[in-house]
This record gives sequence, C-alpha cells and structure tokens, in this order.
Amino acid sequence: MPGPVRPDPPGAGGRIRSAAGDLVRAGLADATRAAGLLAELGRAGLDLPPAALVGAADPDLALLTLARVAAAPAGAEGLAQLWPDGRALAKLLAVAGGSAALGDHLVRHPEDLAVFAQPDRLAVPDAAPGPVTGPEPTERQSAWRAAMLAAVGADPAADLPVAASPAPEPLRLAYRRALLGVAAEDLACVQPTQLFPQVGSELADLATAALEAALAVARAATPGHEQARLAVIAMGKTGGRELNYVSDVDVIYVAEPSGGAVGESTALAVASQLAVALQRITFGPAKEPVIWQVDPNLRPEGKNGPLVRTLSSHLAYYRKWAKTWEFQALLKARPAAGDRSLGLDYHQATRRFVWNAVESANFVEDAQAMRRRVERHVPPAEAARQIKLGPGGLRDVEFTVQLLQLVHGRADQSIRSATTLTALDALRDGGYVGRAAAARLADCYRLLRVLEHRVQLQRLKRTHLMPAAPADLRRLARSAGLGAATGEDLEKTWLATRREVRSLHEDLYYRPLLPATARLSAGEATLAPDAARSRLAALGYRHPDGAMRHIAALTSGVTRQSAIQRQLLPVMLGWFADGADPDAGLLSFRRLSEALGSTDWYLRLLRDSAGAAERLSHALAASRYVADHLARAPESVRWLGSDADLAPRSAAQLRSELASVVERRDSPEAAAMAVRGLRRRELTRLATGMALRRLEDGAARFAVSSVAGVALETALELAVAAVADEDGARLTDLAVIAMGSLGGREMAIGSDVDVLFVHQPRPGADEAGAQSQAEAMAARLRSLLGGIGQEPALRIDADLRPEGRSGRLARSLAAYREYYGRWALAWERQALLRARPVAGDRAVAEAFMALVDPVRYRPGGLGEAELKDLRLLKARVEAERLPRGVEPSRHVKLGPGGLLDVQWAAQLVQLRQAGERPELRVTGTVEALEAAVAADLMEAGDAQTLIASWLQAMSIRNANVLWSGRVGPTSDVIGSDPRQLRGVAGLLGYERGAGSRLTEDRARLARRARQVFDRLFYA
Amino acid sequence: MDRQQEYVLRAMEERDIHFIRLWFTDVLGILKSVAIAPAELEGAFAEGIGFDGSAIEGFTRIYEADMVAMPDPTTFQLLPWHGERHGTARMFCDVLTPDGDPSPADPRYVLKRALKRASDMGFSFYTHPEIEYYLFKSGTGRSTNPLVPLDSAGYFDHTARGTTNDFRRIAIEMLESMGISVEFSHHEAGPGQNEIDLRYADALTMADNIMTFRSVVKEAALAEGVFASFMPKPMAHHPGSGMHTHFSLFEGDRNAFFDADAEYELSKTARNFMAGVLHYSREICLITNQFVNSYKRLWGGAEAPNYVCWGHNNRSALLRVPMYKPGKPQTARVEFRGIDSAVNPYLAFACILTAGLRGIEDDLPLPAEAEDDVWALTDAERRALGIQPLPRSLDEAVRIMSESELAAETLGEHVFEFVLRNKRQEWNEYRAQVTVYELERFLPIL
Repeated sequence: MPGPVRPDPPGAGGRIRSAAGDLVRAGLADATRAAGLLAELGRAGLDLPPAALVGAADPDLALLTLARVAAAPAGAEGLAQLWPDGRALAKLLAVAGGSAALGDHLVRHPEDLAVFAQPDRLAVPDAAPGPVTGPEPTERQSAWRAAMLAAVGADPAADLPVAASPAPEPLRLAYRRALLGVAAEDLACVQPTQLFPQVGSELADLATAALEAALAVARAATPGHEQARLAVIAMGKTGGRELNYVSDVDVIYVAEPSGGAVGESTALAVASQLAVALQRITFGPAKEPVIWQVDPNLRPEGKNGPLVRTLSSHLAYYRKWAKTWEFQALLKARPAAGDRSLGLDYHQATRRFVWNAVESANFVEDAQAMRRRVERHVPPAEAARQIKLGPGGLRDVEFTVQLLQLVHGRADQSIRSATTLTALDALRDGGYVGRAAAARLADCYRLLRVLEHRVQLQRLKRTHLMPAAPADLRRLARSAGLGAATGEDLEKTWLATRREVRSLHEDLYYRPLLPATARLSAGEATLAPDAARSRLAALGYRHPDGAMRHIAALTSGVTRQSAIQRQLLPVMLGWFADGADPDAGLLSFRRLSEALGSTDWYLRLLRDSAGAAERLSHALAASRYVADHLARAPESVRWLGSDADLAPRSAAQLRSELASVVERRDSPEAAAMAVRGLRRRELTRLATGMALRRLEDGAARFAVSSVAGVALETALELAVAAVADEDGARLTDLAVIAMGSLGGREMAIGSDVDVLFVHQPRPGADEAGAQSQAEAMAARLRSLLGGIGQEPALRIDADLRPEGRSGRLARSLAAYREYYGRWALAWERQALLRARPVAGDRAVAEAFMALVDPVRYRPGGLGEAELKDLRLLKARVEAERLPRGVEPSRHVKLGPGGLLDVQWAAQLVQLRQAGERPELRVTGTVEALEAAVAADLMEAGDAQTLIASWLQAMSIRNANVLWSGRVGPTSDVIGSDPRQLRGVAGLLGYERGAGSRLTEDRARLARRARQVFDRLFYA
Repeated sequence: MDRQQEYVLRAMEERDIHFIRLWFTDVLGILKSVAIAPAELEGAFAEGIGFDGSAIEGFTRIYEADMVAMPDPTTFQLLPWHGERHGTARMFCDVLTPDGDPSPADPRYVLKRALKRASDMGFSFYTHPEIEYYLFKSGTGRSTNPLVPLDSAGYFDHTARGTTNDFRRIAIEMLESMGISVEFSHHEAGPGQNEIDLRYADALTMADNIMTFRSVVKEAALAEGVFASFMPKPMAHHPGSGMHTHFSLFEGDRNAFFDADAEYELSKTARNFMAGVLHYSREICLITNQFVNSYKRLWGGAEAPNYVCWGHNNRSALLRVPMYKPGKPQTARVEFRGIDSAVNPYLAFACILTAGLRGIEDDLPLPAEAEDDVWALTDAERRALGIQPLPRSLDEAVRIMSESELAAETLGEHVFEFVLRNKRQEWNEYRAQVTVYELERFLPIL
C-alpha cells in the first residue's frame, strides 16, 4: 500500500492572487528572481503555479534547478514529459529543493528525469515488519542486483558475473540514477521518520548490489580472477541494512582458492587484486563522481592486517586476538557480494564469537567502557554539533542496543538482528527493555537518522554535522517533514532528542533490573531472573542474586522513600558498577538507606542535589572505610551535596568548634570522647574526599596531621586541668613535641602519633612532685585519647624518648639537656629532625626546641663513627623489621625503595649539613629533599626519583586503608588478593582491572629509589 | 568451544591419545609439564588447570602462588616418542593468575608483551636459530668419570659409523612430524657436537619450537642409548654450544631490513635495530647467557663472540650481517651470535627485540663496522676503537643488568627481580666451589 504522499500541486484553477504574494507564501525568498525563472519556464511550455513549490525544502533552489535543467540540451523535453504526472512532478520538486548535488546531476544527465516517472517502490508499512537480514535475498535485493549487473554489461545469472568493460563510469551512473529514485521517494514523503527503515534498507540493498557490480567490473580488470573465491562481507550500517545516503561502506574480504590446483597464496594474491580494484572502481578517480568509500579497516588487525584473509585465518584471529569491540562489529556482518557460499560460511562461523563474547575475560571491562561512553556527562566540545557521535547521538543509540544484544543474545536468539530498530523491537518483545522507553528510543533514532539523511542529501557529502545558520536549519526542518517548524524549533527538538537518548539509556539498561513490584507504570519491563543475572554480571556484580535481593528491598513498598529509590536506584546501579566493588556499594547503600530512610533531608539530598547520589554511589563502591564511617555517622552523607563540605577544615575552625563542644561536657572523659568523635568525623570527611579523588594526597596528609594536632591540644588541656585538680595544685608546665609523621605533617589515615613530653617545674615547686605530676598528665593524655571508648582511639606513642620504653614518660627541660648533652646517639639526633611543638605550654616547647636544635643541627655534621653506626642501624632495620612472609618489594614502608629508605636518605643530608645550612631545617620528607636540591647537596634527578617513590608509597598506604577499612600494619603492604589490588588501583586512579599494572609500577619506582638510596646512603 | 579446541578433542579420540602434557616454561627456561587425562581436557580449555607455583622457579610469591595453566590449542602436537598405540600429545600453555590475568612470571607472556610492542610499531619479528649441542656416550664430567663424546669428527664431517647421522635423522624426523621444519643439520667443530638449524618462524612459535626441540633431541638421544646436552661449555678444550640466531623485522609482507640501495642491502631500520642490540647487549647479557657456565663459553677462546661489535662476514663479531643472496630481499637479516643453547628463548627474544626496537625509536646510529678480527687486537686497540667486552662473568653480568631500565621494562619488574636474585645466588654457590683446577694446581705444592 502506498504511503501518504505530498498532495499534488494545486492546479491552475485556484483563486487569483497577487503573483508576488503567492511567491512569498510558497516560501520563496527572492520573489523577483523567482518570477523571472517562472516566466522562463513558462516560455518553455512548463507552467508552474508557485504554490507547487510549497513542498520543496528550498523553493528558491528548486526553481533555479528546474530552470537550469530546462536550459540543458534535452532538458526541456524531459521535463515536459513529467509535467502532466502530478506524483512525478512532486518528486522532482522535492529533489530539486532538497539536494543541490542531485540537482546538478539532473542538469548534467537530464535523461535521468525518467526516474521520476517510475512507480513508487517504498511505502510506510502498516505495522513495522523489520527488514530481513537473513541469508536469503529478498525479491527487492535480487532486483537491484540484476539491475546493477545489467548496467555494467554482466550476466546476473552467471556464477561469476564479469562486466563488459573495466571502466567504472557505467556503474557510477547507474548507481547515481538508482540513488536518485530512492531520494525522490524519500524527500517527497510527508512522514520521513516512518519511511526511514525502508529507506535505510533500500540504500543498503542498493549498496550491496553496487558492490556486486563493482566486483564484476573488477573481474573484468583482473586476469585470472577465477582462481580465487572472494566473498565481500558487509559490516556496519550496510551489514545492518540501515545505510545512509553518503557513508563509508564497511567491508571485510574473505577468500579461498577456487579449486585444489590453486595454492592459497596465489588465491590470496588474486583476491587482493580484486579487492584493490573494487576500491578503485567505487571511489578511485574517474569521470563520474565516486559512489562511496569502501572501508576495509574493520578487518583483523585493522590497517596493519592483510586486506584479504582466508576463512580459517579470520577465525584464528577472532579466536585468539579479537577484542570485544570487534565482536560487537561482527554483530552486523552479512554476506554482501561475491562468493555467496563462502560468505555464508563466514557469517555462520563468526556468529559463535559474537554471541559468546559476553563470556570473554574482558567483557565486563569493555562493556563498562561502552557504557561510560554513553553515560559520560561532559560532552567533548568538538562533538557539539554532531548528529552521529555527539552525546545523545546516533552512536549512543546503537551502542545501547548492541550492548543489550551482546548481554542477552547468548541465551536468546530472537534478539540477534543486525538492524538497530528491529533489534530494539525484539528486545522490547522479549521483555529486556521497557515498552515505553523502547518506543521513545526508536522515535529518537528515526528522527536523528532522518536529520542525518537530509543533511547528507543536500550536497551528497559525508557529513554528520547539524548546520548552525538559521536559514540552513529552516531548510532542514522543512526537508525533514517537520512542516512549518522554524530553525529555532528544530534546534530545540534536536537538543531535546539528544538529552532524551542519554536518559533513555538509563531506562533501558538499568530500570528493567527493578523487580515487578517496583514498576512505576505499565510500560516498564522487569527482567526475568536469568536475564537480570546476566545483566548484573555484565555490569560487574559478582553476586547477582544478592544484588537482586538488595534491589528488591530498596525499591519495594509504598513509602515515599521506596518511591524515590525506585527513581534513583537504576542509575545508581551503574555508578556502583564503576567502582571496584559494586556488590559492597549496593549493600552499603541499602544499610545507609535503612538507617536514614525516614530522614527528610536524606531523600531530598539524593533526589535534588546534582551529583550527591552519584558521589555516594562511587564512594560506597570504592571504599569500605568510607562505607563503614558513613554508616556510623549517616549525617555525614550531607557533605556529599557540596564541595565545600568535603574540603578539609582548618585547624582554627576545628579549635573553635572543639572549645564549645568541650565546654558542654561535665567530665574530662566525656569531653575527650567528644574530641575523639570530632576526629572521627573529620577523618570521614577526608576519607570521602580521597575516595572521590576530590582531595589531593598532600593536602590529605596535612589535614590528617592537623586534626591529630588539634585533638592533642584540646585533650592535653583536659588532662592538665584534671591532674592539677586532683593534685590540688599546678606544679609544672607541660608541652607535647610532635615527632615522626606527625612532626613531618605527613600522617596517613590510621597513623599513630609519635610524641615527646617535656615539662618545666613552676618556680618554687618541688622537683619530684613536679616530675610525677608531669608524668601523670602525660599518662592521662594517653588514656583520654587512646583508651577504650565508643569513639576510635588515637594511640600516642612516646617510644622515641630518651631510654625508650624504660625511660620516664615525661622529662624536665633540665633532664633533657643533661641527657642530650651526654648521650645523644645518631638515631636520636635523626629522630629529633622531625620534632616540632604541637601542644601544651608554648614557652616550654620553645625552650625545648632551642635545646635540641644544636643537637640535631650540629655544626660539623656527622663523624665517621656516627655515620658508620647510622648505616649499620639501617642495615639491621632492613634485615630485621620486615615481617616474615611478605615479599620485600610489596612492603611500601620497609621494603627496598620504600618510605624508610627515602626518609633516611633525606635525613642523612640533614644530619650532615643542617648545622651549616639553615634552609635544611625542615621536618617534612619531601620538603627536606627539595631543600637539599636547592642547596646543591643532591642531584635533582635523584631527589625526584626518591620523591616519586615516597609519594606513591604514601598513596598506596592510604588507598589500602580506604579500600579495606582496616588500619594498622597491613596497610603498608600491597596485597596479593586480586580484588583488593583492583580496588586499591581504582582508588589510585588507575583504570579498572589494572591491579597488575599497579604492582609493576610500584616495583619500578621502588627499584629506582633503592638504587639512588644505595648510592647516597651506603656509598 | 571454538573450532581449534574441537579439533583437538576430535584428534584425541581419533588417535587414541591417553595423555596430554601441558607444557610451560619457568623463568630459567626449563620446560615444565603437567599431564592430564583426555577427560579433563574440555575443562582445561574452559578454565585452565590450576597448579601451585611455589615450587617453580620464578613463579613463587605472586598471588599466593596459585596459578592456572591455560592450554593454547593451536600448539597441539602428538609427541612422537611415546609409541603409536597409546599416544601422548602436548600443548603449550599460557600461565594465568587465578583471576585470569597473564601471570607476570610467565616467560611466554614476557615475549608476547614485547611482540605487542613491535606490532604497535607495525612490525612482526622473525627468528631463525642454529642450535648446537653435544652428544655423549657416557661420563659425568668429573675427573673420575670423564665425558666421552659420541665421535671425534669435526666441522661438517660425515661420520662413517653413522650413530651421529642416524641420530640426527631420527631427531629431524621427530621434529618434522611435529611440524617443526629443519633447514639444515651438520656436524659441528667439537667431537660429538652437532648443529641443527630450524626454519625461520615468528618469534613466539620459534621459542615454543626451541623448547620442543630440546626435548626431542634429549628423547631421541635416550632412545639411542646416548645423551645430549645443551650446556654452553661442557668441555674446557672444545668449543661451546652457541645458538646463533638470525633476526628480521617485517612490515606486513615486506622485509623491513632490506634496502636495495644501501650498503649490504641493509635498510636504515636494520641499522637502527642493530645499533640498539649492540648498545644494550651488555645489559641483557645475563638473559642471553644466563648461567655461570655461559661465561666459560664466551671467554673460553674458540671463536666465541665476546666483544660488542658488528661485521659483514666477520666471524669474530657479536652481530654479523650475512651475505645478501641476490634476488631474495625476504632473506635480509642479522645474526646475533652471543646467545648460547641453554638460553630461555622467550626472554632472550624479548630482550633482543626490545633492544632493537629501542634503537629504531631513538634513532641510534650504528657504530663503524669492525673489519679486523677483534680477537687479534690488543686491549688498547680495542679501547681505541670503542669496542667493549661483554661481561666476563655471571657476577659482572648481574651487576650490569641490575642497572638496566631496558631489561626491567622488557622482563617486567617481577621477572627482572627474580632473575637477579636467582643469579646472585648461583654466583655465590659457584664461588664457594673448590674446583678440580685448584686441587690439581695447588694441592701438590701448597
């Protein structure tokens, strides 16, 4: 049944109006010129009422083209023959106004005007039966094949049709004429989006026939062609029977010897000649314009691979080397031309690879890359006006459909169509996607394809760019059958379509994972359990059954919470899947939701705040530490709504907050617990920032150290006051000196703090009493912060004090002076390099620093014997402290090139030179190395090597804690569990699945650092 | 299941095969074998065969030592020496970690990675080795039980009492029956020493072939009641066993080493490649010559190539450019003469390839050709000409490689570290020996 067509041009009997008015109403911009052209046509006996031009996309262009054709030799006669045939004239005007290039063709070849008189071949179907992609050629395909072969003088019935001449021109002319026929019906159609599937398959069939004819021409140019059986496999849109007007035609060549007597290499050589000739014939230089470019780059090994392979060579490649995207491309493969039985063999043999691709080791990762491409939020700037590649473009629709086909096609044959729209219908019918979403996606796809076709038809150029000029947009709108739409309307429609494609991906891919009980409307689908399992597994969930339970729990019910979660969860499932542990992410989310469910702000935040739900998903799936801490203090979820809340708090902010918090507590113990709670909260903030990669590692180390410092300050005040109260008098002033990583302001999450306690008895106080009071204060501080309690402890380690654990916990300034004056060993001087005041009495602290400066920054540096002792000590540490059973290179602290090596290398320079060079007097490791370079005491390259290893080791430590949620010595080791490794690598910014690259990178930086260290420290 | 796997399963049935040996190679180049029954094969294709790597050189300490051997069905071959009735077949395996990533300790993976790099630059890499080995009647080499070579013939001699000839014929038949083409075979210079040249193939296939070759030769020797050894220098006064190997790079079907207009028909690519190999030859010597004994061959006289230089038909050069055969551009190649027969071919090919590619990437200039016999020069002359020696001992080779970024990158940090550790240990054990030489020289007089 012929579809709706444009109304016939109104006859001459219409009401009489002013001529110029008619012209303007018909859409002509230049009425004066138009009147002239109409008169010219009239003189040739071709009267045209201006209203007839209403249907043309560009009436001015249409009229000009008609006039040019009429002026061409034999043009006027050709037109005259069409004139009485209303339908033919309508098609002519549609082409003349819709395609400048086809108009030019008509001027050069007026004989092709006859095409318009042919009966229509395409029709908008009543119900859409998708184009056939099975092996048997349809009637229409056979007709095209016969017509194209006949055009080059080849016998369509022959086994190996050979053209009459090797010249490409006859084929090109025939092709252009056929294309004109298709374009005429398409452009004259009032519902082009409905006609599109027919147009796409017609163009593909025409292309296939042209390939066959081109091969016949190639045979005429290739002596000995019969030695090879060559099959041309159509890929891409040709394979899917949804071709563009102007597109590369993607092909793959397969060849076999034609008989036992022919060797494989001869056959391949002949076949390659044929393939090269075919390319020359279709787009080499010739008198007639090219047909299209034949693109053979989807073949195995791409551009580097041989042009033609045997079937077994193809299969060997697919078996061993091919990537997921190549299987995805194979989905569209279809025998197009040449040896049909070889083509069918190829097609059949490759299906297995396509439909088992989901089992290959990299599928999850590759599928994730495909998903990310579709879901990525920020569009690349250059793609802004792309119809095909831009965000929400055609490629996104195709990827979405193909991904679903690959995931579910292994179990279900009914969804294996190579044609996008047919496949989408089949996915809908199979219950894999929602009915409503599928219909909307199909509409978007049709509209985008029609826009693409119209843009291409204008100049028959391969372009996928939306025009920007208002006039071009308006013409496009008219041409696309959008009626009276202005350019502005079209632009709006297009942008809305792009946005919709993006959001539909979520509806199609994730929403069907919700259980039937969570359906919001009848048009939605719920996957059968097996299909849901496949889809979750393809997303990277390791326990699909568990995931399905969580999803059901989160989305079932009638509360407002479950209603909102029904909206949010589908897309969150994708975000969890981007993390290293999607299952844990989903479970943590369920826990949080159960804890916070009824809280008003929580749901509002997830629903309304841009990015909060996404951040939450990412953080939960990436870090157990964050998941545990958020569960402990669900109110912290609030921070995810704003960057400012995730930024570290300054020490001053923390101090003032603590001051008021402490004031409200009755006992020192309760107050200290509040201090510890605040520290936990701040660590949660920092960890979340790190897990989301919004907080740079150096800033995190500084912030962790500063939180510890503030906690010490406040808790010390509590301890001092409490002890003084108990003793009835304040006998001494106590200061806390930071050592170790706290001193260097380079703490990791979960680090202990190293400190020294120093005091100065108050004038007149009893020495012994003061001493015991100082020790009591120090001990109280340790128990307040480090004792058992509901809030996590901050362990305070004072082992670096004189005489270590057997020494007194606190000493007076005088005692320190005496001790360091007599005993300071090299390692003690080394430890003091990182000393800085952190809490307590400022004057005492300053006196202490003045006291130790000459010890640590001793003029003259290190003596020979001290140097030897230091080296010996380091060698012993290396031999003894590494835990058993840990491969040294996996230990980022004690292993070769690890934190300790770098630290010692820096400190050696300080011990030797800081007496003379004040610029070396810094407590941080990186600072010290940089100062050493600035002071010309170390090669810049050496320092860079050391710093690189140190920074990497510190980051790995933090990532270990974030991933596992556990603090302690295990965080110094690169784990051997592959999943942990992947998780840690993910937190460090590696692409997923790069655990072995992380191990390799760590080993490399550590090895280099060790070489430098060996040279600087031991030599 | 893919077609190649189906083919293997069918062949198993048709040929009545009762065992499959799954082969892989440890870091030192020793062949490892796991036998499985045919019934397990289908499972092996799907999931591989798990094994504990902790007892295998170089495989320890990664991922808690659990490993998976994944058979490569394209390497399926019947083993000719186990009789026809109940056959045994073999397949090479890729070694994977339990989660399916290639194991960093698998030498095959090291080579694959290097080949990938070549293929990213548009090259494929072909090799053609000339493998020397000794045949002995008896003996352990101790002074009480000296080695007795199978014959006392010399270079290209035709031995009249044909054990050697028969042996080579049997070995070659076995190789050919396994699809390994032999180009050439002849008696070598030492008594009982033979050479068999394998027809050129891509480097991965060739490395597999070399591993197979060594097994075949050892099996064939046992069948004849003699034994074969690939030890680099089994007898102090006779030549060592080298594995001179010809290398070429192809861009598609075109030999990238060939340039009709250049001197010796050597393209710029070839010259850069050679420059790279020479530049890094000292750094990778620990891989091309991996045992204490290897350095006895390099420094034990008898024309071993121990100086870093190249020449055209210069038998003293480390890298030799063979005479070009007119009309055969495909055969343009360079011959690296340093490798010995006890090499791990996967690692050695990977290192040489990467060194050569680095030469191409960095556009390294090729030093002047060595026209003299470098052995005849004095140390001072060699120094003046800028000709460096290869490491003189395993110890020196270890020290040089330990500083090599190229070796670390090519081998991967894991193998790199393992090799250094293992070789340091070997050197220490060797150094602790009291040798026959010392006993004979010093015991009587001290």
